[in-house]
Amino acid sequence: MNIPIYDGNPIWNPNATAFGFYNNDIEFQLDCIKVSRFITTRLGYPLMDVELQTSSIFTAFEEAITMYGNELYAYLIRENVLDLTGLPYANLDLTETIISPNFETIIRLSEQYGEEAGVGGNVTWYKGSIPLTSSVQDYDLKVWAKDQGITGSIEIKRVFFQEPIPASARYLAPFDGFGFGGVAAAGLMDMGGFGGAGGFLMMPLNYDMQVIQSIEMNTQIRLSNYSFEVHNNIIRIFPIPASNEGTYNCNCGNLWFEYIKRQERIESSVECAEGLISNVSNMPYQNPVYSLINSVGRQWIFEMTLAICKEILGYVRGKYSTVPIPNSEMTLNQADLLSAATAEKTALLERLRAYFDETSRANMLERKVREQDAVLRELDQVPRVIYIG
Amino acid sequence: MFARQRDVSLVRHLNREVMGNVITQQCALYQYKLEETKVNIYGEAAAEKFYNGPFLFNVLINRSSQQYPEDAEGIQFQQAIDFYFLRDDLVDANVVPNVGDIVLYQEGYYGVQSTVGNQYWSGKNPDYPNNDSDGKPNPLNPNLQLFGTNLSILVSTYYIPADKVAISPFKERF
Repeated sequence: MNIPIYDGNPIWNPNATAFGFYNNDIEFQLDCIKVSRFITTRLGYPLMDVELQTSSIFTAFEEAITMYGNELYAYLIRENVLDLTGLPYANLDLTETIISPNFETIIRLSEQYGEEAGVGGNVTWYKGSIPLTSSVQDYDLKVWAKDQGITGSIEIKRVFFQEPIPASARYLAPFDGFGFGGVAAAGLMDMGGFGGAGGFLMMPLNYDMQVIQSIEMNTQIRLSNYSFEVHNNIIRIFPIPASNEGTYNCNCGNLWFEYIKRQERIESSVECAEGLISNVSNMPYQNPVYSLINSVGRQWIFEMTLAICKEILGYVRGKYSTVPIPNSEMTLNQADLLSAATAEKTALLERLRAYFDETSRANMLERKVREQDAVLRELDQVPRVIYIG
Repeated sequence: MFARQRDVSLVRHLNREVMGNVITQQCALYQYKLEETKVNIYGEAAAEKFYNGPFLFNVLINRSSQQYPEDAEGIQFQQAIDFYFLRDDLVDANVVPNVGDIVLYQEGYYGVQSTVGNQYWSGKNPDYPNNDSDGKPNPLNPNLQLFGTNLSILVSTYYIPADKVAISPFKERF
């Protein structure tokens, strides 16, 4: 058996590449030949033999292009994952597209806060009520839920109770001649909230705010404070309910509240996304089009191909620590090749990632701001002429 | 898998590179044509001796120091040289070094006094796969012929004065 090695005459062979991703690209075919010459020359040919075949170099070249594409598209995925999640991927190829940012995912991610704040979200709020009994302060929500046929836990989101009338809506002696209070303050009767007929002295707004705070603090401290507490499924009502008629046996009305089913909060986290982009693995990026890669990208690919070929050659020469020759043995340079290949691959990847990061949307915007600052500083150096008319 | 024929091929490439492009020691081998050489009743070729070749090979050489012993004829010259041939080169050239052959090295002629083929890579000669006598594969380790190689041939020589060899281009003899 005689396995041929590189003979200095690379010939394009579509069967030589492992995957054939770029075989139909004429420029790839042409560059395969050129890269083979470049690689073998860098490895010492024709002064020294290179124990590779052109198929090894073609495959390394293909791998380098794919690595470049992977790095590029991984960067783009990171850049656009929030904008693309949820998009149908059928018949979609993002390889040559321009993606504009949108808020869809951000809003979806913040729905949980809206749900907790009671201003949105994706969990249904249900309404329920418990009939209040005079002098009974505590009510068992668990029992109530069971009576309602609710399975699983619930969480009270809002309790409706009678609040003191806001100070701004109270009828507080509007005829004292000074600005705040009562019907006038509430903006009723087209009086604009600046007192009654007795006076129209406009007071500073901070004065109005101090009056409001004083009135409401008086209400909070001196009057019964309508409130509630929930501990261990028991809701406690403040103040102790009493009948409107003053008898303890009468109906005191209902305590209305809103609640969610906690299981639904968990279920709202999961959304079936069949056919939709759901994670970085099904974003429809394909391999790059080699002929569209510019010289900057191609040079990176050439250098990465060289590093990969060094690695392959290192493994070839390193399978045996020593190689026999007649009456002796020799040690090849596999260690140097492997260390050089590892270092070069690492450096190339770091260089490419840094390059992509520098061109990220965030960095470009920051750069734009710095440029604008610089321009403004530059313009500040221009003398400002004062014209006196 | 180690020392399989694919690896042997690599070793062969490396040997040819290091012997042909790096070390680049060469010698020419003249093969003695026994059937065309007339000998007397003592087995001596008193007249002409005939050789095939020369066959040019890249070799590794282990030279001993030149010696100048004195005898009744005066000061002599002696030098023993070991030539290590890559066996695959010999196979490709269809040459088997034998005792009596002549090696030309640096304008000196050296007679072959012994040949040794004993350098088996991975300790195995693929020519002996230990198959059954009827040709069936070795039941314990079939396909042993695909592993290892018989790498080199050591040819030990001694110096022969050129006038005793009398090798010269064919045309000059007329």
